[in-house]
Amino acid sequence: MPISHSSLLSSTPASIRSLWLSALAMLLALALSSAAFFAPTHFLPWLAGIELVLLVHGMLNQGKISGLVRYIVLQLLFTIVLYLAIHGGNKVSEGVLAVARILLAIVPGWWLTNTVSTEAIGAILGKMMPNKWAFVVVASINLLPYMANEVREIYQLQRLRGARIAPKQLLNPRNWGEFSYCVIFPLLIQLLKLARQTAVAAKARHFGYHAKRTLWPSQRSEHDN
Amino acid sequence: MTTNHSRGFKLQDALFIGFCATLLVALKSMLRLKLGLAGHSMLLMSFFYLTCYCTVGRIGAITACGVMAGAVAAILGIGNGGPLIFMKFFAPALAMEIVLVLVQRFTNLRWRLVIVALAGTLAWAAKGLIEDLLVGMSWQVALARFSWKVLQGGIFAVVGALLVLPVVRRLKAHDLVHSESKLDQEL
Amino acid sequence: MRLIELDGVSFNFGSRQPWVFRDITFRLDSGSCHCITGPTGSGKSTLLQLLAGLQERPFEGGVFRRQGMLAGLVMQDPQVQLLRQTVGAEVAFALENLALTSEQMVPMVQRALRRVGLFVSLDCPINILSLGQKYRLMMAAQLVCNPQVLLLDEPWAQLDNLGVQELTMVIRGLVAEGIAVVMCEHNPAAFEEVVDHYWQLSDGVLMSGIYRTEKRIPLQAQAHSDDVIIEAEPFEYRFHGDAPLFACEQPLQVCAGELVTIYGNNGTGKSSLMKAIAGMQGNIAPLPLKVFGERPKVGHYGQRLGLLMQRPNRQLFENTVLDEVAFSLRRFGLPQEQAQALLEELGLGELAEQSPHKLSYGQQHLVALASLVCYQPQLLLLDDPLAGLDSEYFDRFCMMINRLRQQGTAVLLSSHRPLPHTPVSQQWQIADGLLLPSTCTQDAAYAY
Repeated sequence: MPISHSSLLSSTPASIRSLWLSALAMLLALALSSAAFFAPTHFLPWLAGIELVLLVHGMLNQGKISGLVRYIVLQLLFTIVLYLAIHGGNKVSEGVLAVARILLAIVPGWWLTNTVSTEAIGAILGKMMPNKWAFVVVASINLLPYMANEVREIYQLQRLRGARIAPKQLLNPRNWGEFSYCVIFPLLIQLLKLARQTAVAAKARHFGYHAKRTLWPSQRSEHDN
Repeated sequence: MTTNHSRGFKLQDALFIGFCATLLVALKSMLRLKLGLAGHSMLLMSFFYLTCYCTVGRIGAITACGVMAGAVAAILGIGNGGPLIFMKFFAPALAMEIVLVLVQRFTNLRWRLVIVALAGTLAWAAKGLIEDLLVGMSWQVALARFSWKVLQGGIFAVVGALLVLPVVRRLKAHDLVHSESKLDQEL
Repeated sequence: MRLIELDGVSFNFGSRQPWVFRDITFRLDSGSCHCITGPTGSGKSTLLQLLAGLQERPFEGGVFRRQGMLAGLVMQDPQVQLLRQTVGAEVAFALENLALTSEQMVPMVQRALRRVGLFVSLDCPINILSLGQKYRLMMAAQLVCNPQVLLLDEPWAQLDNLGVQELTMVIRGLVAEGIAVVMCEHNPAAFEEVVDHYWQLSDGVLMSGIYRTEKRIPLQAQAHSDDVIIEAEPFEYRFHGDAPLFACEQPLQVCAGELVTIYGNNGTGKSSLMKAIAGMQGNIAPLPLKVFGERPKVGHYGQRLGLLMQRPNRQLFENTVLDEVAFSLRRFGLPQEQAQALLEELGLGELAEQSPHKLSYGQQHLVALASLVCYQPQLLLLDDPLAGLDSEYFDRFCMMINRLRQQGTAVLLSSHRPLPHTPVSQQWQIADGLLLPSTCTQDAAYAY
């Protein structure tokens, strides 16, 4: 769930060294994912070998593979059914190989998520963006638990008021309008308000005063504390 | 990957775009577990991207929202995480923005939004098609998967696009958005 | 020394919008402390933003600002102002934006924290601070730039009594250093030790003095029946995977017609308890709690239960006030005339056709409450309903509660301070991880 991931942001700030390691890990994941699409078939066992190591490493870091397995099984079923329907039984192995490549393409991402901290990925992406947008990303992720809570509370409040938006009622498309008016509309009002206030709060602290910001030293010598 | 053309967004609008993108990513990952349907992410994407466009009232809003959503998804490790997830949000956004500029002078706003949403679906499905062909699926199978995605995603995307206008018009009617753009007269 | 002067300033949010304030004259000298009072939505926060120089919309009139003068603004909601994870990074945010080097930052941050009396490590995570500490952290984040003016928006509502005492001491120190302080405050008495000028802002006019309205309608004492609505065995309230938030060692019972207040500091679990009673709180260990004889489940009680949450204006979505109030009546199949009748009774009849989104905060608050009261629930839960509610609207609030209780509704009301002069039938206090119920006889309640 995304909500629990965001709590990772409150862990201690990433040090410079771990930032470099994280950047390397991101590059590695990108390279391996791309290789899964482009590498010739005889190279795939090597790739699978490398990714098996990543898989074990990820699981040692408490990564859960159930989502990965479910995704791949669904893909496999869907593809094999299509192959059987279109080509008969003789080309199924081609389909299985294709799904294997898909698996090889997503394992590096799964590994990255489970081994590199959310904060480190955020810090690296932040360096690639203009100041304003880097701030927007950090603020949005920090406010995610608040926003998720807001969605939940508005939804439940309107249900208590008798709105026809219980999960069962939402199976009927006629109630979608009710959902958009009583939940989405007030939610957008809250988001607009939140954006306005956050902007004022940031400007009250001179955000945007200089084109180039400096950074608080998260690593300092002992006596600074 | 920086969005130079959107540098001029007011901080408040940029934050609103960021919040929409984050919520889009969070909702997508929550819904994924409940609904087995692949196309539902197009519902969320077309709704949030077009809402950003209509409230902020500027070209560039959709691309910015797509970049934010892709970045947030990569940071939070949504789905199976990794570099691929970025394209999943960014490709439809870019296609929608381009088509939005192209159809700016045609028909009324409602149909424009629907066309733009469909363009997003095509880009989303095309990204899947390219991947399928790269991993070595046969043309026939890849096309079958592509059409299935276009069909499913298309329906969801149109629903999302149709939900945008009534909601944004309501915001406008109650003086909750003050964008001084040409779009204002159409809302 | 004159720092800011407003001379005949008028302001609105757009050319066709009504004036927020007109022809305001105000002078701020160093070392002074001003307090602006007035009803919610009268433009106090807007005035602070104007003084801070953060208002982007154009205004009319003359504004003098001392050359090079800096103003710091602490807004109401900590949620939108705490932008970082650690104390040091939070205070340094402004310095980062001013592009100072990291060697310059550390001593400045340390000095700012000392000025507000916050003695914690620079790497201390913000989420473990108390509310009072968070407030002073937000002040430090402003003081780090050495502003000559500090603007505080509604500090009292966010602080408990200890927090108010700490803040009073800090303000006294800052004023002695020559800083000018301007605060907006609902409860002008809270900081009377340090304030030297009181102002009132209402209907767009700023005058000397304290804004006051008279309360005429009290909450009535009421006999209650023996019909049990809520009952609970002793329990521990605990989120999954967490230590208990609080425990209740006695059984609880609420009958029809009762008025129960729950009070305790912020974060003690009042809202969570309310939500659990309405069946909205997921992620908690099961409670031995029965409401109307059943385990609470959201949406299960229909018109029997009403809940007003904090910031009730977020539930408004209809096009007119009348539709908003009548929404639940339509959904529960009740006669819709009740809505108009209730609005008339509350003296809000003239608002019926207006957009609920264009009302003042206090009016929105009342409309949200009216939308629950009109379907006459048998149990009404009010989560901190008095926060941000002006005394002007307090009478109407009491009218609605009295009316419901006459019809046998049980009302549960939470607040973060005990309510004086209120004839409650029970008072539940949550403190130090313990919920202590006390039954008040009516005589005792009056004596209190």
